[in-house]
Amino acid sequence: MGKRRLAMAGGAAAMLLVAGLAITRAQDPVTADRAQERAQARVEEATQMPVSDPSCTFFGPERERFVAGSNARSQGQLTASVGAQLAYSARAVAANVMPSAPGGSRTDSLDHPSSNTIDRYIFPALSAAGVAAAPPTTDWEFVRRVYLDLTGRIPTPAQTAAFINDTSMNKRSTLVNSLVGSPAWVDKWTVWFSDLYQNNSDNAAGTRRFIQGVTAFNGYIRSSLQSNKPYNQMASEIITTQGTDSFTQGEVNYLVGGVVSGGPVQDIYDQQIANTASTFLGLSNLNCLLCHDGRGHLDQINLWGYYTSRKQAWGMSSFLSHTATAATTVSANLRSFSLQDTGKLDYALGSTTGNRPPRTGTGRVSPVYILGNAKPATGENYRAALARMMTSDFQFARAAVNYVWEYFFTVGIVSPSNQFDPYRLDPNNPPDPAMCPMGAPCTLQPSNAALLNALAQDFVNSNYDVQALMKEIVNSNAYQLSSRYNGTWDPSTASLFGRKLVRRLWSEEVHDAITTSSGQLPTYTSGTNWGPVNYAMQLPEPLNTPDGGNGAVNNFLNAFLRGNRDDQPRKPDGSISQSLGLMNDSLVMNRIAPAAAGLLKTTLAMPAAQDGVVGQGGNMGGLVDTLFLTVLSRHPTDTELSTALANLKTNRTQEAQNLLWSLYNKVDFVFNY
Amino acid sequence: MEQDPVYSPNKNVDKKYTALAHKYPHLHQPFFKRPDISRRRFFQLAGAGVSGSYLAGRALAASSVDTNQGMATKNTAKNVIFVLLTGAISAWDSFDLKVINGATPAAMNAATINGISWPMGTMPKLGAQLDKLALVRSMSAHALVHTLAQTWSQIGRNPAAALGNIAPNIGSVIAIEKDPLRTPGQVFPAFIALNSPSGAGGGYLPATYAPFRVTQPSGTTNAGIPDTTNKNGQTLFNTMYSRLHQLDDPLRLNSPYGQPLTDYNDFYSQAHGMMYNPTVNTAFGFTAADSVRYGSSSFGNACLVAKQVLAANQGTRFIQISYGSWDFHQDIYGTINPKGSNMFTMSPALDNGVSTLLSDLQSTGLLDETLVVMLGEFGRTPGALTGAGGRDHYVLQTAVFAGAGVKGGKVIGATSSDGKNITDFGFAGSGTTGPRNVWPEDVEATIYSAMGIDWTTIRHDDPFNRGFEYVPFASQGTYGPIHELWA
Repeated sequence: MGKRRLAMAGGAAAMLLVAGLAITRAQDPVTADRAQERAQARVEEATQMPVSDPSCTFFGPERERFVAGSNARSQGQLTASVGAQLAYSARAVAANVMPSAPGGSRTDSLDHPSSNTIDRYIFPALSAAGVAAAPPTTDWEFVRRVYLDLTGRIPTPAQTAAFINDTSMNKRSTLVNSLVGSPAWVDKWTVWFSDLYQNNSDNAAGTRRFIQGVTAFNGYIRSSLQSNKPYNQMASEIITTQGTDSFTQGEVNYLVGGVVSGGPVQDIYDQQIANTASTFLGLSNLNCLLCHDGRGHLDQINLWGYYTSRKQAWGMSSFLSHTATAATTVSANLRSFSLQDTGKLDYALGSTTGNRPPRTGTGRVSPVYILGNAKPATGENYRAALARMMTSDFQFARAAVNYVWEYFFTVGIVSPSNQFDPYRLDPNNPPDPAMCPMGAPCTLQPSNAALLNALAQDFVNSNYDVQALMKEIVNSNAYQLSSRYNGTWDPSTASLFGRKLVRRLWSEEVHDAITTSSGQLPTYTSGTNWGPVNYAMQLPEPLNTPDGGNGAVNNFLNAFLRGNRDDQPRKPDGSISQSLGLMNDSLVMNRIAPAAAGLLKTTLAMPAAQDGVVGQGGNMGGLVDTLFLTVLSRHPTDTELSTALANLKTNRTQEAQNLLWSLYNKVDFVFNY
Repeated sequence: MEQDPVYSPNKNVDKKYTALAHKYPHLHQPFFKRPDISRRRFFQLAGAGVSGSYLAGRALAASSVDTNQGMATKNTAKNVIFVLLTGAISAWDSFDLKVINGATPAAMNAATINGISWPMGTMPKLGAQLDKLALVRSMSAHALVHTLAQTWSQIGRNPAAALGNIAPNIGSVIAIEKDPLRTPGQVFPAFIALNSPSGAGGGYLPATYAPFRVTQPSGTTNAGIPDTTNKNGQTLFNTMYSRLHQLDDPLRLNSPYGQPLTDYNDFYSQAHGMMYNPTVNTAFGFTAADSVRYGSSSFGNACLVAKQVLAANQGTRFIQISYGSWDFHQDIYGTINPKGSNMFTMSPALDNGVSTLLSDLQSTGLLDETLVVMLGEFGRTPGALTGAGGRDHYVLQTAVFAGAGVKGGKVIGATSSDGKNITDFGFAGSGTTGPRNVWPEDVEATIYSAMGIDWTTIRHDDPFNRGFEYVPFASQGTYGPIHELWA
């Protein structure tokens, strides 16, 4: 029960105040420039009162004695060891007895040996571990999965039929190529990147972008995706942009999210670099290091963190130290931000108030890139230097591909995906046990380090082409494995990726699947701020909702845990509210009413004698088949068909409604499997 | 592309420090004593698939993943009602009334009841129940930004700090802690958040422990929880529900697509248990007569529902109710616009709702086992009003406690007559701090102590493998319960 503690850190309780930084600065030679910093610090409500916190005493000089000699040493070129390459035998996999697949397996594509980078690493790793791969997806499983994963929408029956009826050998990659970059793909990935960049109008730290800033940032992300802007370019723009109006210049809003009130301006630099390191390098532990050295805190978590000091973290913050983020009052209770490199002085030590423990010491810290210790060139803009170093860092590519991988495979190759340990990534240079504190993680961090590096290298070679990365992933045999599994599944082997792990649909996907399949699209708008839009996937942010903070649509979407892009991340969990919503909410109930124009009405108008007809190939048959194909993107199984038909004989209209309601509540509706 | 930096530790490891680290184990122990054991991985090992789920939550609660300092808790409460007065109520015009010449209106009807200053003009009914209330007048907020401080109050820590953005609401911690006490047949979520659509959520804990949010109408009748009945009627619903199982059981029970689909069915079972359930309607619905007793307001209705939910004994342990906004920077007394939002128009709902709640809890015996906590996210500037006739943000405020053995009719701590300073802490402090003011973290520790939960508990299942301490720094004695409430 550990009564002895080396020190707990945190920042957590330390908060404290501002109070006009009335600290001793009489003998400080740079008092005039402190005034500038103070002005910068006053971007939000600066009505803090001074309070002190006893935990601050924990961060005294005695902690610093453990710092010496902890600088990182750069090693040589990373080599992506290919290792033994066992040929992936698709036929052997296909020979397994397959669990029955709803929709039938009669139109499976023939699988074929793959030259895909991912497959060259995944299948040998599975073989080495003695874990059998799941069977390949059927075409039916594939078409729904890939539409949802890439565009966030279920395929229309026509789209499903077009794919199923296509007899060409490369029809899967053809479909993938047509989806990546499509308008629906832009909608979906605008939301994905907005989650990653935490684009919201209000966060718990008190920063408000306002809906005007959110929509501007949303527009920047959207247009970047539409033009398939290289990812390193987007990152550089976000990190280096200067501007006077966050309402009109979208990319300004990224660093605005790091504005922290209630402290000195260093708190803002710290938060901005903490966000940036997490977003672009997967190093969320930098946030810990900005309060305290890694030793005594990250020992059991992160080997790199253990060897990294707070001073080194300040070197990263210093890249932001010439940047002023200032609010301009547009009208009552409406403020835009400017972001400009007007500062001249580096990151100052000696702060004793604010949101982080006192920055012990005097003088200033110059910018030093924390992975490799590079410094800006003479006269180089600090943020330009930061962007240059980050985007040319291989870790930048690794973090990006891992985030994308985590989305498609549910588990990152490094997981959690924002907690990379840079000392445990190189398969040719694994951690030396002599360097690891007792009980510390001392093995390679990625579940497949060679794969992660190879994927990242491909990403670099493609000039950071996000669309190419997705195509590479989605075209792999590994991605196209079924989520059905033969034999006993050992959950502890999940990170070998021998089976597709199911994903509960996002809030927006559930909503849009209901509205599109029923043929009843809503129209949402918010004054002049945004809209009209017809898909939940086109909403600019969770906090700005179609029908107000407590409206039915908003509550329905929130029940599926879309998060708030701040302290409530998007979650895959289930909940009571989700089930209540799918069973009873008007969003569903209005769309299963027989009288309402749309799917059910159309289907009921079909001849009753053909209710049990199942279409050939991907074509639609009678009532039952039409509902299944439209909602679940597959034919009914024989059992499902006979069950439905038996019910329909008693009361066709009512039972058709019951059937449609059941389809919207089926687990294979609410999950991508 | 520059040379790829592969970062490797310096071989000249600090031997001295390593020896120290071996001698003193840290608090950041991953709970499986093996690297890479993330929460997500834990769920996999727990056999529940990758998504947090109802079953995973049960496994998590049941497993021994906590460490603590073995503190003695009060353990006098089974339930908590947490009232958050958003926008920051002025203590000087409510629980720590100051009569300021030229500012405080006569209509405030300042009175002294058993030595306690009280605004009988705005809160007469609570004034008649001061024997139930303990007023902690030495409380201070850390920060003066609304969203930040509101979240701070609900999670008991700095939202901007390392674990701030994964920290669960206090109610979620209580929900997971008390989950083993749940008995078969109890169908209510453990944590219900009333009128709190944007309050702090369940953090990194599974969704089972997240707040179940219900907003009460301002009207005087309510049938229950939205979506617990079906528009097609119960008979047809039952048919649909059986059709669903008939059709989908091959995919939702022992699903070939994996455990998460099977887990998802558990939520359907829970949701189904709440539908057409007279217990749900009794607890979450109300009649005009009861609503009138509680003041005929949305807040009053929430208080009424809170009482009914606890009386139903259906597994709910923590109820949060939010009421605001009290952010009166202008015209705090309605001098300019008497019908606008001000202390005189906002207070009656609070007075009616909480006073009726307390007396109802007492008459049903629930008050003895229910801790009621009421506070804002911070306080407001003391003394004369601002030029706009309002009060701006200030750290000092009053926290109100009742029930669960808390001694009523009591004031802990005191502020100066001008309200600018604390003159008496009335709080012995925690650890070795000595007497000091009360922080939100101390209120959090007080709630845990009342619920029999060691406030120094550290969970080792957080996604950072850092160790999630229920009350930050509590194991070092930085924060702790206000034992004086029971003295």
